[in-house]
Amino acid sequence: MFWTVTSSLLEGFAKTVEIFGLTLLFAIPLGLVIAFGSMSRIAPIKWVSKTLVWIIRGTPLLLQLIVVFYGPGLIAAAAQDLNSSNAIIQWVATWTGFDRFTAVIVAFVINYACYFSEIYRGGIESISKGQYEACQVLGMTKTQTFFRVILFQVIKRIIPPMGNEIITLVKDTSLARTIAVYEIVWNAQSFIKFNGLLWPLLYSGLFYLIFSGLLTVVFGKIEKKMDYFKS
Amino acid sequence: MKKILALLMALTMVFCFAACGGNETPAPNGDEQPASDLAYIQDKGTLIVGVTPYAPMDFLDENGEWTGFDAEYARAVAAKLNVEAEFIEIDWDNKVYELESKNIDVVWNGMTITDGLKKQMAITDPYVQNAQVVVMRADKAAEYATAESIVDLTFAVESGSAGESYAKDNGLTYTGLQYQSDALLEVEAGKADACIIDITMANSMTGEGTSYDDLAQAVVLNEEFYGVGCRVDSDLCAKINEITDELIADGTLDLLAEKYELTLVK
Repeated sequence: MFWTVTSSLLEGFAKTVEIFGLTLLFAIPLGLVIAFGSMSRIAPIKWVSKTLVWIIRGTPLLLQLIVVFYGPGLIAAAAQDLNSSNAIIQWVATWTGFDRFTAVIVAFVINYACYFSEIYRGGIESISKGQYEACQVLGMTKTQTFFRVILFQVIKRIIPPMGNEIITLVKDTSLARTIAVYEIVWNAQSFIKFNGLLWPLLYSGLFYLIFSGLLTVVFGKIEKKMDYFKS
Repeated sequence: MKKILALLMALTMVFCFAACGGNETPAPNGDEQPASDLAYIQDKGTLIVGVTPYAPMDFLDENGEWTGFDAEYARAVAAKLNVEAEFIEIDWDNKVYELESKNIDVVWNGMTITDGLKKQMAITDPYVQNAQVVVMRADKAAEYATAESIVDLTFAVESGSAGESYAKDNGLTYTGLQYQSDALLEVEAGKADACIIDITMANSMTGEGTSYDDLAQAVVLNEEFYGVGCRVDSDLCAKINEITDELIADGTLDLLAEKYELTLVK
């Protein structure tokens, strides 16, 4: 039984790691885009970014998953019921939305990009105005200033809050099971359902614990490497 | 307490033997020998119901009293017979012998009517239906009226449900979900062609006047009916049918069916 459970949990854990990796891959750059949006001097861009961040941070991820996965199909169903000849409505009626796994990645990427964007914004705005002025005096362009002077200081400052958020992501992946993406908790819970065994669920906690332990070590190393910046 | 119980049991046994003895010697006049099973039950004033813990049909409530759809139904019938309903927990495999030996008068425990059982007891008309049903978009449902027609569809089912066992056993393509209600949502959102759910749930959540009014039931799978078992050739069976018609007419059974979320057969 122990090996059956272990192999089932490992299978689920592979899915968990997949969700985790893909989310980070897309959310880290997207977060930067949203952060720049929130700091933009162009009012409509700023307004759109801030509203997006407000909505995404202000609603549960569970809800966002359900909206992303079921939303398009339900809207299409409603459009079909209208029986309208309007071209837009007919187009909407053909929507099928994402498949399960894509829906999970889309929802997670948007959600985490919003959280990351606020961390980035905090980091960028913490750099003193004097440094920008100095760069200007030295004749650097805005892009040069950002990539050569500001960025690495920002990275150093945001490592601890990012580590926090990324460890939260490890555990949030378990929400994917609400739209039947079978990750580790789903597999563990099915042992409760079919075999009346609780211990596989507790055992799954060990997988999370080891994974977040590894991440903690990695972040510690990164922080050490960044030590040559004295801020 | 135990001593009193033992004494009572001993007394019961003595009476039993006495009764047996009485039956062996032919009664001098016909009045002593009950004319029918129904008369026998009304004579002794109790309807002894054989049950097993089987929610929501029969189960013990927090006071240790038998309750459930069947228990309440049996009490209602007993009341109409002017007798007291008494519940005895039986070994389900021995239900036929329990009936024949008159330890119980009826088997009333969500008993699925089968041809085999029909030979061993008199069974009432079916009163509750249980089945798994395929639910899909209403405009397509008519095309899928047989179990063969659905093999190429994709299904949503509750993980661990009877619907999932059906899908698995018949090699259907399906996704297991956390809840039966999620299965309906999958169909509504076009994520699966159809779902397999309990007919009770399908009745209450799909069709006109529900939030899934564009979904409809297609083929019914694993259909089964519940009936009450009486002794072979017992006239009680016809009487229960008669009383059941009255209970349906006055709405008693509808209320019970609603309370325990079951599907009545009328």
